[in-house]
Amino acid sequence: MAADVHKKKSWEVPNGSLAPGDGQHAERSESPTPGLAQGTEPGAGQEGAMFVHTRSYEDLTSPEDGAAVARSPEERRGEPAEQSSMEQISKDFSELSTQLTGIALDLEEEMRPGKEGKLEPSPQTNRRDSVLSGKEEEDVTMDAWRMHRKHVFVLSEAGKPVYSRYGSEEALSSTMGVMMALVSFLEAEKNAIRSIHADGYKVVFVRRSPLVLVAVARTQQSEQEIAHELLYIYYQILSLLTWTQLNHIFQQKQNYDLRRLLAGSERITDNLLDLMAHDPSFLMGAVRCLPLAASVRDAVSSSLQQAKAKSLVFSILLSGNQLVSLVRKKDQFLHPIDLHLLFNLISSSSSFREGEAWTPICLPKFNSSGFFHAHISYLEQEMDLCLLLVSTDREDFFTVSDCKRRFQERLRRRGVHHALQEALRTPFYSVAQVGIPDLRHFIYKSKSSGLFTSPEIEAPYVQEEEKERLLGLYQYLHSRAHNSSRPLKNIYFTGPRENLLAWVTNAFELYVCYSPLGTKAGAINAVNKLMKWIRKEEDRLFILTPQTY
Amino acid sequence: MLVGDSGVGKTCLLVRFKDGAFLAGSFISTVGIDFRNKVLTVDGVKVKLQIWDTAGQERFRSVTHAYYRDAHALLLLYDVTNKASFDNIQAWLTEIHEYAQQDVVLMLLGNKVDSAQDRVVKREDGEKLAKEYGVPFMETSAKSGLNVELAFTAIAKELKHRSMKLPNEPKFKLHDYVKKEVRGSGCCRS
Repeated sequence: MAADVHKKKSWEVPNGSLAPGDGQHAERSESPTPGLAQGTEPGAGQEGAMFVHTRSYEDLTSPEDGAAVARSPEERRGEPAEQSSMEQISKDFSELSTQLTGIALDLEEEMRPGKEGKLEPSPQTNRRDSVLSGKEEEDVTMDAWRMHRKHVFVLSEAGKPVYSRYGSEEALSSTMGVMMALVSFLEAEKNAIRSIHADGYKVVFVRRSPLVLVAVARTQQSEQEIAHELLYIYYQILSLLTWTQLNHIFQQKQNYDLRRLLAGSERITDNLLDLMAHDPSFLMGAVRCLPLAASVRDAVSSSLQQAKAKSLVFSILLSGNQLVSLVRKKDQFLHPIDLHLLFNLISSSSSFREGEAWTPICLPKFNSSGFFHAHISYLEQEMDLCLLLVSTDREDFFTVSDCKRRFQERLRRRGVHHALQEALRTPFYSVAQVGIPDLRHFIYKSKSSGLFTSPEIEAPYVQEEEKERLLGLYQYLHSRAHNSSRPLKNIYFTGPRENLLAWVTNAFELYVCYSPLGTKAGAINAVNKLMKWIRKEEDRLFILTPQTY
Repeated sequence: MLVGDSGVGKTCLLVRFKDGAFLAGSFISTVGIDFRNKVLTVDGVKVKLQIWDTAGQERFRSVTHAYYRDAHALLLLYDVTNKASFDNIQAWLTEIHEYAQQDVVLMLLGNKVDSAQDRVVKREDGEKLAKEYGVPFMETSAKSGLNVELAFTAIAKELKHRSMKLPNEPKFKLHDYVKKEVRGSGCCRS
């Protein structure tokens, strides 16, 4: 344990808001939190955050959902999260307005008794659908299929297959039937199945009526984290359909084949699973910013801010999976999970590269009952810079499209185009910039802003497996730090190939990877130096002055 | 505006027309609707086509409905290797009647005629259906480029004639033009 990590805190701001911490030895979870007060840590926004800080759905379910989502200070100080229950969740949901969309109405029409027959897809459509999913369907009886590290299945409560990461859903319908039988069997006894651990496998169940999500994993992740990933898949499905429509469909027809409505979205879900295996954003429940000089970012943000329209709620500029700027309507906050879903949507399809796309999208953490309409376009074809304008009005394509034009015009007029291009040339910084010899990599998350920063993963983590192994180590530390029954604040982990340190406070989370030759004392010294460096660079690595319309 | 079942080749047809290329390889599903511009020269006059490429999937129906009424022309596609996509044409026509403008220019296209061995919808079936509804019809291939240019040019000519309304010019007859210019899939292979 790095019990004395916080002793030297010369880097902290002398504003008196520091937690009392002189010489305390943080003995696991018992000790008072060291570090900074929330809102003053490096990377904290100066005028509040961009992201949701209200009690969220995740907070209510945190014991099973894992704690990797942004939480409000109130929540953390105040009531424990244990009081969560399905009743509470469904109550929350039932209080949401239930505005039906055009699609839902169409469905309603189709579901009238007389038309029942039409609902069962003909063999023809089935054939077509499997062609359309575009993935090579594997033979589920082969060993290669069994050897995948993580399977993910989604089924309806009637046991009908909705999604399988590998192999065709049809071929797996009996397997999914067994899964549903397991769930129902325990529920009959007023119990809930959460996981099965056997033979190096973890089988994790997440129940979100009317869907059941199951993962079969051979990874080192904790049950909590796997369940957290399953929830992302659930949100992904909601983002396509809305919670309201999903429920409506299954209320009308319990054995509805949901694949029909999700046709063509398999790629998006596949991409999300791949992304979660190598992008720490999901683990951290936070968003990474493109490193950019503050003056350039401010110019971009105010250009975005000026190119507004009545129906716009969020204007987001991103590059790869990094945020360049986010401007929001006053009093409207985006949840990091919703932003992750948007990132995933954009990275999963090359069809946005040209033209301007206009698509309905539900941001389930913002409001799971309705659709926004997103205008998605790349600023220039060769430039990895994607503009996302989220509007409340389905009819507003041309207005929103004009916002894009105005934004580009302002960018040009402010002359930041060149600086942006430069920044895009080096979307990641090297850990060598910090100047700590033993330091290999780190992840630093500012809790109040919901943003994190992390250098490029460099040697020796060159191979894809090595990168995933490093992320696996972070996942391990994260799960130990956030274990719901025994959370830890400081962890020092010595491994054969690297040493790692984790430090979790009210204000931030820090995960650091060192060469295996360093000492614990050295690692602790380095943390101080690293925090100073982050403070020094914060206006480049974070968005400190978020804008509103 | 391009409409029709998912996977019939709407995006491929558009890309063939716009960039002269064929999107080979994996299937990319359009998300929502996709807006692109193409400037054409028709009889010495520049015509800017604003083209909506739509996603065929059912869950995007509400957003496509919202933009039907702005469309001056609709290209309705089916896939000659997929019977279901042809059977759904009737449903699409019903939808078009409901949401699109009365005088919208409509054209029926049977795509993917390059895959001759997989063909399940005969050319005559397409012709018959088109005749029944009184819409011009042609078979296309985004892969070989057959009739792709023609489909868009014919639409552009029709729209140009409508908007210019020159008194002395004879009325442009889309049907006749298509009949005259259309090439069968056979002539390409020989």
